[in-house]
Amino acid sequence: MIAKKSAPSWKQWVFPCLVGVILLAYPWVLGTVYTNIFIYFAIFSVFAASLNMLVSYLGVLSFGHALFYGGGAYATALFLDHIEGLGLFTVILIGGAAGAALGLIVSPLLNRVKATAFALLTLALGQLAYMACLKLRFITYGEDGVGGFPIPDLTLPGIASINMMTAENFYYLAVVVLSLCLLLMWFLTKTPFGSIMIGIRDNPDRVDFLGFNLPMTKAIVFVISGFFAGIAGAVYALFQNLVTPDGAFHIMTSFTPIMMLFVGGIGTFAGPIVGSGVMTIIEELATRYTTQIALFNGILLVLVVMYFRTGFVGLYLLIREKLFQKESS
Amino acid sequence: MTDILETKALSHDFSGLQVLENINFAVKQGERHAIIGPNGAGKTTFFNLVTGVYVPSSGKILFKSVDITKAKPYRLNRMGLGRSFQITSIFLKQTPFQNIRLAVLSKNKIRFNLFRRVDRMDEINEQTHEILREINLEQEAHLETSTLSYGKQRSLDFGMALATEPDLLMFDEPTAGMSRDESQTAVELIRKLTENKTMIIVEHDMDVVFSLADRVTVLHHGEILATGTPREIKENAGVKKAYLGETEV
Repeated sequence: MIAKKSAPSWKQWVFPCLVGVILLAYPWVLGTVYTNIFIYFAIFSVFAASLNMLVSYLGVLSFGHALFYGGGAYATALFLDHIEGLGLFTVILIGGAAGAALGLIVSPLLNRVKATAFALLTLALGQLAYMACLKLRFITYGEDGVGGFPIPDLTLPGIASINMMTAENFYYLAVVVLSLCLLLMWFLTKTPFGSIMIGIRDNPDRVDFLGFNLPMTKAIVFVISGFFAGIAGAVYALFQNLVTPDGAFHIMTSFTPIMMLFVGGIGTFAGPIVGSGVMTIIEELATRYTTQIALFNGILLVLVVMYFRTGFVGLYLLIREKLFQKESS
Repeated sequence: MTDILETKALSHDFSGLQVLENINFAVKQGERHAIIGPNGAGKTTFFNLVTGVYVPSSGKILFKSVDITKAKPYRLNRMGLGRSFQITSIFLKQTPFQNIRLAVLSKNKIRFNLFRRVDRMDEINEQTHEILREINLEQEAHLETSTLSYGKQRSLDFGMALATEPDLLMFDEPTAGMSRDESQTAVELIRKLTENKTMIIVEHDMDVVFSLADRVTVLHHGEILATGTPREIKENAGVKKAYLGETEV
């Protein structure tokens, strides 16, 4: 039999409550600048976590994840630009739906290739979106991007209408929406579908011969990953109130979450979140002394790839193991 | 008894190299059938054709009277054809429990469930433990699979093939690379697992074949040389010359 976990005690609530209190107090303690930095971190955590579903759970590397993120950002911005009276959550879901739809559209193509070819195909699709965005001026306004669209208030029917233009209010919205996304993605890895995904990563042929439909399963993963990347893009669009080809579809938008994944640790759920945190902090510290942030990011990535390939999460696990061994001996 | 698997004029070549020629082969319901033959006789190619890894150059394959010549592996599995792999094909980074559970999920047709935690599906977990008991891996259920001995990994491989409850089980050289002891344990396990089931085993180890099979088919240079009971095959002059003579059984 499986060893049953001990009954829930107050101890397991300490950590979540602590995190909750910190998140609540954060904007009031640290001020607007750091609140905005935190929102960036939260957006990229979800974006990187959606990429992580492909990398750590399905075992394929996407170099063009900006396709879904940018798709979500543009969908949200364009809907707000053209249609009046859309609700806040509606436009966020529109962003997610756009990402999911793009995932569905590209899945027949992505299902035909593996490994390196997969990475290159995603790169090509991402770049295609970037170019299309620049050229289709009548829809996307080209390089100028879509900006100045109205940001809807958060209306709770009969209770209140909350203005989303202040950093603090938007912070709470972003934290709630993005935490929910992370929670859903985490839950997904614990479902039977999550087991099948991990099986595909480790041994696709066997999964095929266990009676699972590989192309269909992968397509669903692309759709889900696209959905969450789209949500991240939608929150980004609302936060910036401006979506440009460079911000949404640029190749660096695809590479940033990959770097975050490597830095945080591939193969774990927490990896992209930790990576996003570490890179945000480093960027913030570096900007105080230099404008060459890429230099610091680059050095960090080289160090991670050369010396601790399991990333910060792997490093943490290693240290914990070492300490634990000392205690027990 | 009816034929569960049938091939009609099955031929296959790899870019001009004829590997199998005009194979007419049948396995009856409830039979343990062995396919033997010297290296390069086309055994593994035959196995791969039936299990949907390759599509044959010509000919037909019928499973339960349905044409499966071009069917994809996952379809074959859903129709009731299970297989083990020659090179142990398991999920090494996961535990035996997780390995078997994946097969059990498939058997229960849980393929796209995104709404429940798999740890809390008691029925699934109970079935998984049942299979683990059958293949004697209860003790190791929650260790990482890569740390298990080769023999145990093979047992796990059989367990996964078995867990989807196939109507026809196919084994591709199940004892390859095993020590004498391991091999004996594996044979016993296969015998136990395939009790009252239909099985095809591709093998070159004569002891294994003659102790497990009801009927034997000998492949030689891509053609069927003989089919019969183990005793008939042992006494067949052509077979002796082509195959048994070389290994001095």
